[in-house]
Amino acid sequence: MRKKELKLVVTFHTTADAMAMEKVCKKYQVSGRLIPVPRSISAGCGLSWCTELAELNHMKDVMEEVGIEEEEMHECMV
Amino acid sequence: MSLSDSKIKLGIAGIICGVVAVILAVTGNPGNMAICVACFIRDTAGALGMHQAAIVQYVRPEIIGIVLGAFLISVITKEYRSTAGSSPMIRFLLGMMIMIGSLLFLGCPLRMVIRMSAGDLNAYIALIGFIGGIITGSIALKKGFSLGRAHETNKTSGVILPFLLVGLLLLVLIGSPLLHSSQTGPGSMHAPIWIALIGGLVFGVFAQKSRMCFAGSIRDIYLMKNFDLFTVIAGVFFIMLIYNVVTGNFSFSFTGNPVAHSQHIWNILGMYIVGFAATLAGGCPLRQLVLAGQGSSDAAITVAGLFVGAAICHNLKLVSSSAAPATKGVTAVMGGPSIEGKVAAIVCVVVLFAIAFVGNKRKSN
Repeated sequence: MRKKELKLVVTFHTTADAMAMEKVCKKYQVSGRLIPVPRSISAGCGLSWCTELAELNHMKDVMEEVGIEEEEMHECMV
Repeated sequence: MSLSDSKIKLGIAGIICGVVAVILAVTGNPGNMAICVACFIRDTAGALGMHQAAIVQYVRPEIIGIVLGAFLISVITKEYRSTAGSSPMIRFLLGMMIMIGSLLFLGCPLRMVIRMSAGDLNAYIALIGFIGGIITGSIALKKGFSLGRAHETNKTSGVILPFLLVGLLLLVLIGSPLLHSSQTGPGSMHAPIWIALIGGLVFGVFAQKSRMCFAGSIRDIYLMKNFDLFTVIAGVFFIMLIYNVVTGNFSFSFTGNPVAHSQHIWNILGMYIVGFAATLAGGCPLRQLVLAGQGSSDAAITVAGLFVGAAICHNLKLVSSSAAPATKGVTAVMGGPSIEGKVAAIVCVVVLFAIAFVGNKRKSN
């Protein structure tokens, strides 16, 4: 079983925002992947972006540039 | 203790829900309909006089229990959030189409899995359509489909559906003559009220904690190769499979299955509509009940669409008929959709493509 690590998890207001995030992160070379929103964060069943903690500033810059607004950002074991 | 931090715990949640389904089947619910959300909403709509199909009228306490179970556990765990405002009328329409597709196939995704566990090959055929619908919906999501964000709203908005269902439960408990109740047919087959209610409550609690969703499970596999939600479904399937094998109800066959038909194209298309619409709406009928219980008025509107869709299906003869073998003096019935049902299915597919791929796009940045 894969060992859980502390990651940065970004949630969004809509699934479409999460899908758009995946696209722009590939384009701007922000590492990470889409995962279901961790249950510890929300009872909802949407998608979230999971990345390394070190990507925070780069990712924030990209999100600001393309206009994707996060719902919340969490550091959690994923 | 978190119920959702490992696949084993998610599987256990599914097993518990499967046990609830077995108990309901053993104590009176139709065997391969143990806890079908679409069928039970249709029955409840009939009990309220929304349609006049005499054999499918009965207030199903399971539906009330699922919503109240999700409501209570979300309040206790402080996860209750009253939200609204994400394209409510489109969600209403999606709810109607989910019901039209379900009654074309004769069952929601939960019943499809229960039928699969009994070896009903028609359900395996329908699964092809269900997966196809979810993939189509997921492609729409990838291309930017969005119903828009929901916002926090007045706290009372989220409790309206749970309170309405409490009122309905009170009518049941006092034996109100206002409610219709089938004397024959599937509507007359039911578990005792308290067992059905407690079963629904337990199902609602575990469905809320595990985020059980039939459409979501396949969506997550397709989009993220994530099997968490699928594990819950596998738990339900596994327990129902054991029940059917032990009781001798299991047999791989296209025929001889109660409340089912073998018109493959329409079984596939029915569940294609359900999978497609549920992916756009963000969850299968069960998930909509749970989300409504934890405060989503958008999901409650989808549930309202399910009720109205059930009434329309029976009032306008869109619902499929069951296959039946020949008996003394009665010829065999092939079963399947009516002409009206076939037309409705095609209209649903066209409308779903319009909703998914024309308009309703995320605002580009």
